[in-house]
Amino acid sequence: MTKKKIYSLDKNYSADIFFKRPDKYKEIEIISSKFENIITMGSCNSYTPASFRKNALSIQLTKFNRIIEFDKSQKLITVEAGIMLSDLFNFTLARGLWVPQIPGYPTITIGGAIASNSHGKSCGFHGTIKKQIKRIKIFHKLHGWLNLSNEENKDIFDLTIGGLGLTGSIVEVQLRLEELSGNNFVTKIIETDSSNDTVKKINFDVKKETYCYSWNRSDSFKNFGKGFVFQNELNISSNNKLTKNIKLNNSDINKNFIINFWNKYSVFFAQSVYQNYFKFLKSKQHEESFQKAIFPFIGKEFYFKLFGKKGFLESQIIVPFDKTEVFIDEVETIFKKHDPLITLYSLKNFKGEQKNLQFENDGICFTFDFVKNSKNLFFMDELDKICEKHLLTPSIIKDSRLKLETIEKCYKDLNRFKEEINKFDNKRIYKSTLTDKLMI
Amino acid sequence: MSNLIVGASSGLGREIAYEFARNSKNLILISRNLKDLEILKSDLEIKFKIEVNVFQLDFSDLNKVSKFILDNKKVLEKIDGVLFPIGMMRENDNIKNSNDDLIGIFSANFYSINFFITHILNIFEEKKNGFIVGFGSISGAIGREINVSYSSAKRALENYFESLIISNLKNHIKVQFYILGYLDTNLSFEKKLLLPKGSPVNLAKIVYKNLDKKGIKKFFPFWWIFIDMAIKILPFFITKKIIKFFN
Repeated sequence: MTKKKIYSLDKNYSADIFFKRPDKYKEIEIISSKFENIITMGSCNSYTPASFRKNALSIQLTKFNRIIEFDKSQKLITVEAGIMLSDLFNFTLARGLWVPQIPGYPTITIGGAIASNSHGKSCGFHGTIKKQIKRIKIFHKLHGWLNLSNEENKDIFDLTIGGLGLTGSIVEVQLRLEELSGNNFVTKIIETDSSNDTVKKINFDVKKETYCYSWNRSDSFKNFGKGFVFQNELNISSNNKLTKNIKLNNSDINKNFIINFWNKYSVFFAQSVYQNYFKFLKSKQHEESFQKAIFPFIGKEFYFKLFGKKGFLESQIIVPFDKTEVFIDEVETIFKKHDPLITLYSLKNFKGEQKNLQFENDGICFTFDFVKNSKNLFFMDELDKICEKHLLTPSIIKDSRLKLETIEKCYKDLNRFKEEINKFDNKRIYKSTLTDKLMI
Repeated sequence: MSNLIVGASSGLGREIAYEFARNSKNLILISRNLKDLEILKSDLEIKFKIEVNVFQLDFSDLNKVSKFILDNKKVLEKIDGVLFPIGMMRENDNIKNSNDDLIGIFSANFYSINFFITHILNIFEEKKNGFIVGFGSISGAIGREINVSYSSAKRALENYFESLIISNLKNHIKVQFYILGYLDTNLSFEKKLLLPKGSPVNLAKIVYKNLDKKGIKKFFPFWWIFIDMAIKILPFFITKKIIKFFN
């Protein structure tokens, strides 16, 4: 079998792997039987090396993309795990239903979203995708086919959600769907003058079904935190049904330009243009299509491409509400000291209970995108220290650079998770470069 | 009325099933893999509101095919047409195949299709309508070191379909035959090939569009026609030298 070189989306990891894309159930069993180390792959859109490992087999399940059952009255859908969010939503949205806890790019598969316990823009209201999962069917080389739910194999069910694919290949999933009244969104834009002001404005009413996130400047200390809060609310009055359809463009999110275009000047220029556009040209309240509000990166793939072959780094950290002020204060201090090159700075609400390796907690989620250079790596190390000091929750699935030391301090369940995985899979068949780093 | 697809659970067969479903055609799907067929049936029925019936049948066993025909006469009488996007390969298919492998490969790729069509023809002749679509392989153009029996069976199938086309020129039965080059299916996934792969989705569209045409024999992707012509024009002693050079 020939090998293929594969990269994480952030381009910080690559490996020569064995790669198979089965399209029959029996094939999953046959292929799995031939390899000692396996990991399942969705669309390979993960920032981190979560779906591959050197010399291991990556089983890509994108051909397992069908709808198995649909019960509109019970709002339940059973799908194969390789179905892309766009395909799932083009079916459910036409019936006024959806899953709100979905990541921001529509080619991600539902299996990938479950293995990383994904969240959406409304995570302050809806929490993470685990709330919607009723049942999972996995294939494990040692255990065969297993049904997982709160009633059946509950311990493995809990390990599988946000479990980075370590319990086997997620092949089928039953999801609870939520009603989506309205056909598009009304987006309100609220100006903010600092990070603390953004926190106040973003945390305005967590009981309301609002898809709320911010965009903040990060090009200089003077501008740090200035920006906008975007509040997307469902527009019940609009009857334009066409706005719900998700159309993918042909841009390959994994292909970057050769050189990096982000530098101090281009970040300043891009952020100034963006800020002034929303400040002076864009209406403070406007209608937005479902696609634009929920998948804002469609059509903006060039943002990732601009980082060039060296790629980028992303840090996502959940900060409890009572620690946001001190966190912002400390981030501003290290920002002033190290002057990092941050291309994206954004905040959103978060709700949830952290368990195993799931990226969840109650608080504000801070996101920073960095150009990969030594200065920024140093700044990120300083961010890690803040996380460790305040026991914050950094995202394992977004930050490929995150050190085991930090994860051990911030994820209290890490050792228990390791033990349970080792107990379930004593030959440790399912592994990725990411989980090697976690020593699982 | 329904359309019957043999080998529908994966690859080209699956894409043809979707193309027919998109055009609101009811389907009868046959494959060795019942689990895959049942899931395909659910997906097609949920998305396209068509009627789908599935049958588990292994075309590498001629006796089972014969029994299926006997047991399902009424089902077969109601079909509009039949498509055979089926192909069975074995890993060690070389010049010294075992008897079981030979029988299995030839049954799946030639005998069972031939046998099935014989019965279907009687039904279509009575109805004075119907279409039959077969799929060959460019591997049948010339002898080879690997997939020896597979390519021989595909060459036989091509010959049979030519005969089928010629025999049905004067009636209303439409026969089409596609000779396939590299297709982008799981069999060719991540394989480094000399020429680009054709899209099974595009081929399914072409197949559906051409259903009303009589006596078609086409290459897909189209450029394989030139390779096929070159192979047939060149004297074998030259072809032999070219193969030796590349090996």
